[in-house]
Amino acid sequence: MTFIDFNFYLFATLLIVAALGVITARNPVHSALWLVLSFFASSALWILLEAEFLAIALVLVYVGAVMVLFLFVVMMLDINVEQMRKGFVRYLPIGALVALVLAAQMIWIVGPVGPDVLGDESLQQSVRHAADYSNTKELGRILYTEYVLPFEIAAVILLVAIVAAIALTLRRRPATKYQTPANQVKVKRNDRLRIVKMDAEAKE
Amino acid sequence: MESLYLAIPLASLMGAIIAGFFGGYIGRKGAHTATILGVGTSFVLALLALNHHVFNGAEAYNATVYTWMISEGMRFEVGFLIDNLTVMMMAVVTGVSLAVHVYTIGYMADDEHNWPNDSLAGTNSYQRFFSYISLFTFSMLMLVMSNNFLQLFFGWEAVGLVSYLLIGFWSVRPTAVYANMKAFLVNRVGDFGFILGIAAIVMYTGSLDYYEVFGKAGGLSSQTMSIFSGVEWNVISVICILLFIGAMGKSAQVPLHVWLPDSMEGPTPISALIHAATMVTAGIFMVSRMSPMFEYSDAALSFVMVTGAITAFTMGLIGVVQNDIKRVVAYSTLSQLGYMTVALGASAYSVAIFHLMTHAFFKALLFLAAGSVIIAMHHEQDMRKMGGLKKYLPITYWTSLVGSLALIGFPGTSGFFSKDSIIEVVHHSSLYGHELAYYAVLGGVFITAFYSFRMFFMVFHGQERMDQHTKEHLHETPWVVTGPLIALAIPSVIIGAMTVKTMVFGSYFGNSIFISESHNALAEFSHGFHGVWGFVEHGFKGPALYLAALGVISAWWMYIKQPGSADFFAKKFSWLHKLLENKYYIDDFNAWAFGGGSRGLGDRLWKVGDIAVIDGFFVNGSARVVGWFAGVARKVQTGLLYHYAFAMIIGVLALLTMFVIL
Amino acid sequence: MTLEALNYLTAWPEIFLLTMACIVLVVDVFISDDKRDFSYYLSQLALLGTFAMVMMVQVDGREVAFNNMFVQDALSVVLKSFILALSFAAFVYSRDYLKDRNIFKGEYYVLGLFAVLGMMLMVSANNLLMIYLGLELLSLCLYAMVAFNRDNGNASEAAMKYFVLGAIASGMLLYGMSILYGLSGSLFLSDITVAISQADDSRIGMVFALVFILVALAFKLGAVPFHMWVPDVYQGSPTAVTVFIGTAPKLAGFAMIMRLLVEAMGDLQADWQQMLIILSVLSMATGNIIAIAQTNIKRMLAYSTISHVGFILLGILAGSNEAYAAAMFYTISYAVMSLGAFGIIMLLARKGFEAEEIDDFKGLNQRSPWFAFLMLVLMLSMAGVPPTVGFWAKLAVLKMVVQMDMVWLALVAVFFSIIGVFYYLRIIKVMYFDEIADNQPLSCGRDMQITLSSNALLVLALGLYPAGLMSLCLSVFA
Repeated sequence: MTFIDFNFYLFATLLIVAALGVITARNPVHSALWLVLSFFASSALWILLEAEFLAIALVLVYVGAVMVLFLFVVMMLDINVEQMRKGFVRYLPIGALVALVLAAQMIWIVGPVGPDVLGDESLQQSVRHAADYSNTKELGRILYTEYVLPFEIAAVILLVAIVAAIALTLRRRPATKYQTPANQVKVKRNDRLRIVKMDAEAKE
Repeated sequence: MESLYLAIPLASLMGAIIAGFFGGYIGRKGAHTATILGVGTSFVLALLALNHHVFNGAEAYNATVYTWMISEGMRFEVGFLIDNLTVMMMAVVTGVSLAVHVYTIGYMADDEHNWPNDSLAGTNSYQRFFSYISLFTFSMLMLVMSNNFLQLFFGWEAVGLVSYLLIGFWSVRPTAVYANMKAFLVNRVGDFGFILGIAAIVMYTGSLDYYEVFGKAGGLSSQTMSIFSGVEWNVISVICILLFIGAMGKSAQVPLHVWLPDSMEGPTPISALIHAATMVTAGIFMVSRMSPMFEYSDAALSFVMVTGAITAFTMGLIGVVQNDIKRVVAYSTLSQLGYMTVALGASAYSVAIFHLMTHAFFKALLFLAAGSVIIAMHHEQDMRKMGGLKKYLPITYWTSLVGSLALIGFPGTSGFFSKDSIIEVVHHSSLYGHELAYYAVLGGVFITAFYSFRMFFMVFHGQERMDQHTKEHLHETPWVVTGPLIALAIPSVIIGAMTVKTMVFGSYFGNSIFISESHNALAEFSHGFHGVWGFVEHGFKGPALYLAALGVISAWWMYIKQPGSADFFAKKFSWLHKLLENKYYIDDFNAWAFGGGSRGLGDRLWKVGDIAVIDGFFVNGSARVVGWFAGVARKVQTGLLYHYAFAMIIGVLALLTMFVIL
Repeated sequence: MTLEALNYLTAWPEIFLLTMACIVLVVDVFISDDKRDFSYYLSQLALLGTFAMVMMVQVDGREVAFNNMFVQDALSVVLKSFILALSFAAFVYSRDYLKDRNIFKGEYYVLGLFAVLGMMLMVSANNLLMIYLGLELLSLCLYAMVAFNRDNGNASEAAMKYFVLGAIASGMLLYGMSILYGLSGSLFLSDITVAISQADDSRIGMVFALVFILVALAFKLGAVPFHMWVPDVYQGSPTAVTVFIGTAPKLAGFAMIMRLLVEAMGDLQADWQQMLIILSVLSMATGNIIAIAQTNIKRMLAYSTISHVGFILLGILAGSNEAYAAAMFYTISYAVMSLGAFGIIMLLARKGFEAEEIDDFKGLNQRSPWFAFLMLVLMLSMAGVPPTVGFWAKLAVLKMVVQMDMVWLALVAVFFSIIGVFYYLRIIKVMYFDEIADNQPLSCGRDMQITLSSNALLVLALGLYPAGLMSLCLSVFA
């Protein structure tokens, strides 16, 4: 077992444990923190694959921005965890059984036990790049040439996400009180004041 | 030329649509103007086509106008096959139709008297009538112009439908409704055979196109099929006989003739157009068109000939005892259709078509003349209440005389050429049953002459038997009625002499009719042909002319010279008279066996099959089971998200297990 | 690499549509509520312009662009033009409906345009990544549109379900695609075809990937047992959105199946055929039977969709070019019928009233004989009664199944569609024979009347002259 292999198994195990933690933690804040850990672990796996740009982006974007936002939301919302977990135990056995069978099947296919799907030689093919190889540069080159269309579409998807989020949440509350200075300045005396003539005393 | 061909049926259709859907807006005048313009256009264009093909000798035109759909290589199309046979039919159909359109203006002028007050069906009946006859012209044109069996069937059914609508046009009369039901049902029997025939064609050739089917006809004649186990049938014979059963329905051959006399319940212009000149000849036309198939089957041709012979003789005989003027003409039509069918059976298709054409003119003339008499007699149709009309209706009288002479085959008239040709070719035929056919058509000549002149004498000569009121109002009918009479009388005389040479003996039909070497009746007959005059001379040598003369003289003797003698013979041969008056009891048999039988069967099926088995068990029972099942199944849809997701996972698991692991 | 090498002019309609969608988005921000119609007209103009451009595309066999990511062929041109036409009609129908509910906003049309763009990209995808992105673009727009009436609890619930289940399905699709990528080493459909044809040991891995991809496809179309979202979403969404979801995306889903199963994984036909048989039979059975128990017409039509999807799958599993053409014919005619049916529901709806219950159709004949007749035509077509197009669609598909020597399957299909006739006829019975329950007059704009009438009459016209559409579908796969 080389050092790289050791690291792989370490972070892979960490990833699985962290992922399990996300769905089993009782406190949603803890869940979110487990998720942060799992991001870190997968980021480490990407480093092992020489994809350093993606690894750093994962940490920066997901851990640094998305998860922090997520934590804010979780903390601000008062989620009743106990109610959400109702039925968890009741459905656990059947759920676990199905999950196990499914996982077993996947492992049997993809893993080393069952049929040799991937083929031994394909595993040997992993190419090691030279020291001056830049993953960032390579990604950039490919994104703006070969993958320019998917890249653009991804951008459109993000735009749609923004539009959708705003369309669904932005609302002008009719009851909101606010002042318009321009109107205040333009106001005339007659608009506000009415002089009513009346006798000082009521007539008998 | 394609757009011209397309315009021929469409012009009539346009007229029908305008008069039918907008009759209320455009009024009577608008309706008849529109339809006459439409049919007139068709007629003119048909003449152009006739000129193009016959006189300029253009090649036959065969092309698809529109492909409706293609299913397993079989094409369902609308297409035209235009050759000399077609253009002749087109010209006859549109020509007679145009005459009838004009005539109808006079005949239907006071149609509102035929309807009860404020009857809904009576509103705009005049416009509707014009719409129907134009629609008929369209359907008939589609039938004759077709280049495939699908369109042929469409036209076939469409003319049947219009005929049904028109026989029952006066839907407030129970007799009319009965008659149109009868016509429809009897035609269904024929159409059933027809569609079976088309189905057999499709089954064995895989095509609906005429030319493709004809090309394979020779191969089919050596194939056999077994309908009942153990009995082998020749395919081409089965197909031809089935198709001919269709023709028997439309062209009213025994025993499917029963609807035609009853169809006289319809207005007279219809009797002239549909039930004398055009629709009933559809069967004759169809068999001629299918000559490349019929020629391969001696059995079918014999069947055709014998059926025709029986029709020609027996139906003429009934005509002798009828007293309704239109029914006499109707039975005469039946008998003449029998003649044409006999000619078909003798492989003399051109003779049949020739007789079809001459008959179209003089029979339409006779019908319209009968109509003219009926108008003058204030819709009285019984000949026993007529007599001596000669002086009141001179034009009708003379034209009727021309028509009757043509019908009996007076030398030189068109009927003479066509009828004599038929008798001669049957004489030369060698198919099974040709002796029977020959004597039947010869006997028919005498009968035809007898009943024709019986009618003529009873109507126009002798005592005036009508009541005083009718007599005072008797006068010649208006020009729209007499005009068509004269227009039809001229061709009734001359068209035979003009065309016999090219149509019967010449190469008029060219490739459109095929006659196999072994059926050489027509060829043998042609050897004896030496010009028109020779033909007339030859007529004096044969027995037919003398039989006809005998018939006329007998009629004269019985109805003019000795008016009482008819009754004497009726009493003397009362059994025969009764048999004929009851039309051989065929109607009674049908009513008892088919009417009663099917009603009894239907009753039983309804009670046992429908109410108990289908309603009780299948419909209500299955509905209950499905309803219960649906109620249970909808409970699966809980509305809970994780149930849904779980269902998906289970689906994945099941598919994986089934296809990857196992 | 130069711009010419991208060959981007091939994707001109998509580029135009994207530009127009952005213009509508910006313009809509600057106009006041009473001029909102302007956004509507601009969006319709965008669809019409795109349609015209698609029509102008000259297809000589097959043309690729953007480094082989994007393909323009007969299939894509035909499907795109129908997607655009269906969306156009759906927009027409939705205008009054949205106005009556105070949700007549530009975002509806912007999202709609982006959804159309997503569908067009799916149809033209030549790469797994493009299929996925197109699908996500479409789905994201649809999720938002379902929740568009955000004050409506049902709509939000439906959107939530749709979103979560859609995410699961997307995950499955990605998983399947990644395995396929791992085994073939490429994301391009043509490379995958080659890899599959050469696979022997790894074939089982390909089938493994196929299962996951098929599940995602089945989810998208709504085939049992991945159909659970369909009834809830159809019922919960505003009808203006249901009419959109229920029509054009079916064509995109069909294209996705064609690209993935037929083009890329054609060599695995023996496997996916068996899977589709199961899905198809289950869909026809479940859809037709449960539809009977429904009282809500939108929900009923949702189950009817499921059963129609079963029929579409029948055509695809028959697996010949003619059968694909039949399936395409079915999909297009189904989309047209369903467009009309939802259009009628929207016609009956008015301010504060949804016309969602079958009982709301009582005595429609007395209120408006014309629209009752149109609904009659649409229902008969869905039931597959001649002379409507639904008959030909069913016939074409069944014929293909029989040709595959799977007569039992054809019989099963006929059996369930006979059961299905019941609930369509019930609508007709309610319209024509029941006592009128709701006397409000029907009101809608002239544009909607004309579009709806021509929509329903198209169903009849295609039934009388099916040859045109049929030969179009056949030419796609010739």
